[in-house]
Amino acid sequence: MISDITLGQFFPGYSPIHKLDPRTKIILATAFIVAVFMANNPVSFLLLTLGALVLVAVSRLSFKVVFKGIKPIILILLFTALINVFMTSGEGTPLFELGIIKIYTEGIVRAVFMAVRVVILIIGTSVLLTYTTSPISLTDGIESLLSPLKKIGVPVHTFAMMMSIALRFIPTLVEETEKIMNAQKSRGADFTSGSLVNRAKALIPLLIPLFVSSFKRAEELATAMECRCYRGDKNRTKLVKLEYKGRDILWFLIFAAALAILILTTVLPYNLDISGQIYEIVFYQI
Amino acid sequence: MNDYIIKTESLNFVYDDEDSDIVKQATSPALSDVSLSIKRGEYVAILGHNGSGKSTFAKLLNMILTPTSGKIYIDGVDITSESFSEDDMFDIRRKIGMVFQNPDNQLVATVVEEDVAFGPENLGLPREEIRRRVNSALSVVGMTDYARHAPHKLSGGQKQRIAIAGILAMKPDIIIFDESTAMLDPMGRRDIVAIMERLNREEGITILNITHYMEEAARADRVVVINDGRVVLDGSARDVFSEVSYLHSIGLEAPQGNELIDELRSAGLDISGDGLTPDEATETLFKFLSRKN
Amino acid sequence: MNSILELKDVSYVYSKGTPFEKVALDKVNIAFEKGKITGLIGHTGSGKSTLVGLLNGLNKPTEGTVFLDGVDIWEKPKEISRVRYRVGLVMQYPEYQLFDETVREDIAFAPKNLGLDDVEIEARVRDAASFAGIGEELLDKSPFDLSGGQKRRAAIAGIIAMRPDVLVLDEPAAGLDPRGRSEILGSLRKYADDSSASVILVSHSMEDMAHYCDNVVVMADGRIHSSGTVDEIFSVAEKLSKIGLDVPSVSKIVSALAARGIDLKGKLYTVEGVKDAILEYIKEVNK
Repeated sequence: MISDITLGQFFPGYSPIHKLDPRTKIILATAFIVAVFMANNPVSFLLLTLGALVLVAVSRLSFKVVFKGIKPIILILLFTALINVFMTSGEGTPLFELGIIKIYTEGIVRAVFMAVRVVILIIGTSVLLTYTTSPISLTDGIESLLSPLKKIGVPVHTFAMMMSIALRFIPTLVEETEKIMNAQKSRGADFTSGSLVNRAKALIPLLIPLFVSSFKRAEELATAMECRCYRGDKNRTKLVKLEYKGRDILWFLIFAAALAILILTTVLPYNLDISGQIYEIVFYQI
Repeated sequence: MNDYIIKTESLNFVYDDEDSDIVKQATSPALSDVSLSIKRGEYVAILGHNGSGKSTFAKLLNMILTPTSGKIYIDGVDITSESFSEDDMFDIRRKIGMVFQNPDNQLVATVVEEDVAFGPENLGLPREEIRRRVNSALSVVGMTDYARHAPHKLSGGQKQRIAIAGILAMKPDIIIFDESTAMLDPMGRRDIVAIMERLNREEGITILNITHYMEEAARADRVVVINDGRVVLDGSARDVFSEVSYLHSIGLEAPQGNELIDELRSAGLDISGDGLTPDEATETLFKFLSRKN
Repeated sequence: MNSILELKDVSYVYSKGTPFEKVALDKVNIAFEKGKITGLIGHTGSGKSTLVGLLNGLNKPTEGTVFLDGVDIWEKPKEISRVRYRVGLVMQYPEYQLFDETVREDIAFAPKNLGLDDVEIEARVRDAASFAGIGEELLDKSPFDLSGGQKRRAAIAGIIAMRPDVLVLDEPAAGLDPRGRSEILGSLRKYADDSSASVILVSHSMEDMAHYCDNVVVMADGRIHSSGTVDEIFSVAEKLSKIGLDVPSVSKIVSALAARGIDLKGKLYTVEGVKDAILEYIKEVNK
C-alpha cells in the first residue's frame, strides 16, 4: 500500500526535537549531513550511529516508524551495496574468488560503509526535519533562512507557500490515486501486467482523472484562501514566530561538540586496512 | 450599525460569450434580478437544486465574482461601487466567512491549529491575538483536542469543523455555508448544523445556509428558494414548505410531514394545520383523526 | 433462496500484525438475491465500505469466503478481474473515474477491456446510457462538459455497460439534489428487473432504503446488526434509532400516533404507505 510509506511524513508530538526552532533543525540537519560524509572509519561510524539512535530516542518516535521509512529504499541500497562489493578491487588476496568475480575485504567494507552512511543519513535528516517538523514550520524555517534573498527580488514567500501546499496535499493525492485505481480496476483496467507500452497506456485512465481533480482542487483551494483574506505576504503575521530559544543554543552546542569529536575520530590513525582487519575478526567470529 | 447586514438590489449575473470560462460557467450559473435583504443575526437557508444559481449568490457577496449589474450592500457599504478598493475588499471578506462543500479543498495547513491561524495571520494580527482566537475558535467547534493533529486524518465532519474554526478566527459577522454538509454522513451533517445554530444563537452571527437538503432548510428562521437564478419563494420555513406541489415542480422536496399532509389533502381530506416537524405533523394528524372518531 | 453472491464467515482486518490493527469486519454472513435490491446501511466505520471492496475482489477477505454463483472468487487469484466484470462496483463519487474524450468512449472502456467486438460494444454503450438516463445527444460530448448529475450517471453507465450480474453502488446519490437522487435511484429497479441482477445499494439514508429497496442489511461495528425485508426491518424501527440511524420522519409520526392510541397498519415507512394507512384507518373508523 502506498499509504504505508512513512518517509517524508510528519508525526506531530511534543518531544525536545519537535520543540526546536525549524531553522535550528535545518542547520543541524545540514551539519549532520556534513558529519555523515566526513565519517570514514568504524569509530566515527559507530559515533554517528549512536548519534542517530539518540536522536530517534529523543524525538520519541517509535523505532518501528523510523525503520519503516527506510524500507522503500532497501532494494536500491542492496543493489548499490552489491555493486560496491563486486566492483571494488583491493590489495592482498581476495576473500572470495569465482572466475572473474573477486571479492575483496575493501569491497565489503566499502559497501557496509556506504549502506550505513545512507541509512544514517536518512534517519538523521528525517528525524530532525520531516518526522518532527510540520511541513508548514519547515517551510517557515526555509523562508526565514532564505529571507535575505527577498532583497534581491526572489519571491521567497511564494515558493514557501507553494511548497507547504504541495506537502499538505500529498496524502490527499495518494488517497485519491488509490481511489481512482480501484475505480478503474473495477472497470477491468490492469495496471500491473502487459508490455511496457501497454502499462504506460493503462495509466491514462488514472492520470487524466487525477489531473482533472487536482485542477479542481487547486481552483477551490485558491478561492478558499482568498476568502480567508490571503494576499501573499503583504501585512501577514504568524501564529508561530520563529525565535531562537535557550534550547536551540543548547542543541547547537551539543552538535558542535559532537561534530568536533567526530572530526577528531576521522583523523585517528585508522585506515581501510585496519578497519578491514576489524571486519575480518568479526567475520571469523561469526 | 445598519439593520440589514446584506442587501442586494436587482442583482444580475450573466456570462458574456467572450469571457466564457467553462469551469466557472459550470460552477456558477447565472442569476437574475435578485433583491434580498438579510437582517443582522438572521438564520437564513437558501434552497435550490444543483445549478439553480444559489452558490453564485454567495460568491457575489464576498467578491469572488463580480455582478453584471445591480447593487450589493454589506453592512451599509456598497461593495459594487467604483471607488471600492482592494483593501476594502479584504475587509468584506473578513466580515463574510465562507465554508465550502469539499472539506479537503479548503484546509491549507498540515496541522489543525496552523490552519485555523491562516485567516488571522493574513489579517496581520499580533501573535498573542492569533493564539487567543485559534484557541477559542477550536473550543467553539469542539476540536481543541485535535489542535496538533494532521487534518487529513480526520473525518469529513471533523475537517469541516476545522474549516469553520478557521472562519471563526477571523471574527466574521456573517458565515455562509455553501453546501457545506453535502459531502458528509448524517452524523457529520448533524454536527455541522448544530454548530451553525449555536453560532447564530450564542454568538449572534448571521448564518446563510446554502443547501438542497430540505431537512436542513426547515430548521432556519427564513427560507429563500432560488430556481433558475431567480428568487421564487421567500418566507418562514412554515410558509415555504407548505407549498409542497410547487416545490416538487422545481425538483425539490418538503419535509415528510408536510408531504404526507399534502397527499392526504389531495385525497380529499380537509386537514388544517402544518407538518414542518414530526411532532407538529403528529399533532395535526392526531387532532384530525380524533375529531373523526 | 435464489442467491447469487454469498459471504461466508467473512472477516477483514486492516494492518494486520501492526499496532494499527483494526477489525473492520467480523465473521459476516450474507447472501444477495437475484432480481432484488438490497440496501446496505450503517454508520461511517460500521464496515460497510470495507464490505463493498470485498464484493468485487478489490480486497481479499482476511478470513472466510466470498462465493459468486457458488464459486469462491479467490479460487484463482489471477482471474480476479473476471469477477470484477460480473460484480459491477460503482464507487462513491464515481464521476472522478471519467477520463476519455467522449462519453461514448468512456462508457465503452469496460466493454473494451472485456474484449468484446465493436458491434457488441456499441450496443452495450447504448443500453447502458439509456439505463442511466444519458441521452443520445450527450454521447459525443466530453464527459468533462456534463453537469454534476450527468457525470454521475455517465460513470454509472460505465459500470452497467459490463452487464454485471451484481451491481453494487456505494452512495450513488451522495451530494445530489432530490431530483438527481430520484433519477439515479429510480433506474435501479429497472436494472434489477430487466437483467434479473442483484442490486446492492449502500446508503446512509433510511428514506432511500424504505423507498427503493426490497431487503435491508443493517451493519454496526463490523457485524450484521439485522437483516430482512424492508417490512421486517422497519417494523422494528426503534431498534435502529438505538444504534443512531435516522428513522424516516413518517415512521416517527406513525410511532408518535401509536403512542397516542392511533394504530395504523400497512407499509408505515414511506409517505405513500402512511397515506394509504391513514385513509384505511378512517374507513375502518367510519364503519
